[in-house]
Amino acid sequence: MAASNSSRELILERIRAGLRVPVAAAEPSPALSDAFAPVENPLERFQTEAKANLMECFLTADAPRSADQLVATLRSLPEGEIFVQDAPSLRRLLEMANPQRAVRWSSEGAPREASQATITLAEALVAQTGSIFVTAACGGRGASVVAPCHIVFATTDQIVPDLYTALSGAQKQGRLKQHSFACMISGSSRTADIEKILVQGAHGPRRFVVVLQKS
Amino acid sequence: MSSSTPTRPVEPLKSGAAPAPTLKILGQEQHADNPAQKFLRDAAQKSADIVHRDIIRRNMESYQAAHERGRARFKDWEAARRRCQEIKREAVNHLDKYLLQFEANVTARGGRVFWAATSEEACAYIVELAQRHKVKTVVKSKSMVTEEIHLSPALEKIGVTAWETDLGEYIVQLRNEPPYHIVTPAMHLMRDQIGDLFRERVDPNLSKTNDPQELVAAAQRKLRQAFFSAEMGISGANFIVADPGVIAISTNEGNGRLTTSVPRIHVAVTGIEKVIPKLEDLATLWPVLATSGTGQPVTTYGTLIGGPRQPGEADGPEEFHVVLVDNGRSGLLASAEQREVLHCIRCGACMNICPVYRHIGGHSYGTIYGGPIGSVLTPHLRGPEFDHLSYASSLCGACTTVCPVRIDLHHHLLQNRRDSVEEGHTAGGGRAQWKIFSKAMQSPRTYALGGWMMRRGLRALYALGLAGTALDPMREWSKKRAQVPLPKQSFRAQWRSGLGGK
Repeated sequence: MAASNSSRELILERIRAGLRVPVAAAEPSPALSDAFAPVENPLERFQTEAKANLMECFLTADAPRSADQLVATLRSLPEGEIFVQDAPSLRRLLEMANPQRAVRWSSEGAPREASQATITLAEALVAQTGSIFVTAACGGRGASVVAPCHIVFATTDQIVPDLYTALSGAQKQGRLKQHSFACMISGSSRTADIEKILVQGAHGPRRFVVVLQKS
Repeated sequence: MSSSTPTRPVEPLKSGAAPAPTLKILGQEQHADNPAQKFLRDAAQKSADIVHRDIIRRNMESYQAAHERGRARFKDWEAARRRCQEIKREAVNHLDKYLLQFEANVTARGGRVFWAATSEEACAYIVELAQRHKVKTVVKSKSMVTEEIHLSPALEKIGVTAWETDLGEYIVQLRNEPPYHIVTPAMHLMRDQIGDLFRERVDPNLSKTNDPQELVAAAQRKLRQAFFSAEMGISGANFIVADPGVIAISTNEGNGRLTTSVPRIHVAVTGIEKVIPKLEDLATLWPVLATSGTGQPVTTYGTLIGGPRQPGEADGPEEFHVVLVDNGRSGLLASAEQREVLHCIRCGACMNICPVYRHIGGHSYGTIYGGPIGSVLTPHLRGPEFDHLSYASSLCGACTTVCPVRIDLHHHLLQNRRDSVEEGHTAGGGRAQWKIFSKAMQSPRTYALGGWMMRRGLRALYALGLAGTALDPMREWSKKRAQVPLPKQSFRAQWRSGLGGK
């Protein structure tokens, strides 16, 4: 039996009592555009920021070129199973790429601890910060963190200019009402906890690869 | 502050044992081995430790450069700060509304929200949950609130092994130390110290090169086993977003991601003040937090979690619990002048800029939250025995200028001092000294007489070779510093004789 929550009302009562004390009126808040410069060329900006985030970003012309890039990336990885989001576009891409590896699809469950790479789609790409926005629909939670390499297949029409557009879009579409998880990923896993020296690949992927296909 | 606006918690966290024998230090009521006395001793020791100061100086210089680069990426950093201030002001001024909205949204997805008035209640809930699910191993991602409520010792008492998984937290856990800094817990250690520690506690075969890459890999290998064997993951939350009812966790390493993805149960422990109204607010808060915390444009993983695994999702915990901790925070709401202290987003910027923190280090404070924000907050959370921290400041105001939510930190330190005096927590001797000082400062004649007596007296004392003895009033000052040269004339006399004209 779970512990009772008798303090809930007590805390709310204390909060309401405290809030009855008047405070100075708020100043008008500056607009978002006062704080952040507008993003002029989203594709170029995304590529620049992604590089700064230590991502590998490959712009491809069409699906066969994307499959070639996927093959090249997978060849650089050690032998072993890969985990792939079960989505029609990724099934087609894998068929073209024919990676000659064991594939575990997200419809079969979570990625195994020993997965060498995960391949997923994204909800959106954010030019302002070079970020990839994923939700649980993109292969689940582990798909973007368990393996040493995360490969995202995306198209250029998924690029949005800034964080605000990505978050308000997700909110309008109810993506977080439908799913228990979302993440704004801005590069490979890293730490600077030892003498502020940057080390890539702490607990999450050391490599983050974006195969970005022209729409 | 009037009695109708209490800022002390209604139920103080520590009921306290019988008072120990009293001493009087710096005008504060002191007890043998009490926090104030310990603070003075540790601060004196650390500020004289040149190696320690050098480590912290290099860390802070590196942070400072990154912070400046980060601020330059904004069109207008001040506008971004003002936006953050208004977001937090809106949230805290309607705290009940937004917390209830958050609770309703999380509950709708099958999550559970527990409201804890005290640290004991928060720990009891999590301990009961762990026992009910027969949890043996817990993985934790960095959470200052779990440090505040002493969660790990509570879990250890029931035989649960709790692994800190943030690298810095893991290092200090291996050393049985509290975090040194809220963002960089092992800032005070050099790689050679960490290498020795890891060879002793993590992997005896680790090479002696102490290459950070190898050290990180060794910790990762060890902690990977913990992630995949733990039944429960415990995280904090940087923000709790009322609409759509998610917690937001910012991490760089990915440990927070694994903690909240792999174990069967996820418990998020967070303060009630972390709430923000809506998801879009993160478009401002995420870049500002990252810039203030580490100088990054944005943290690597901005994770949003609103419930347990939903039908059709590939993975995720079966249970999701959020523990909302009050622990004295609601008491601050009733203070019109100090309510904004609850706006803090725990970025650590005020610590990094603080000249006192840079000299005495994070452990000297003897509290979970150090630096200016800790000195403001701790007396409210833990009672008047921490009033001395409000004096651990030069009042230079640097903290206020860097705070990303524009908390007027140095004035809050002054208000804490005032309240401490008005509530009678200062010793009679201290009050008398300040009265004399106040009188002297308001009377040019008395001030001049005091200066004359001091110059003459000290000159005579030093001529007799009594410098540094018990008779020397400058003894404490001169212990770790060069002796103050005695001027022949007062400043006013020097001014009259031409100094002012130069």
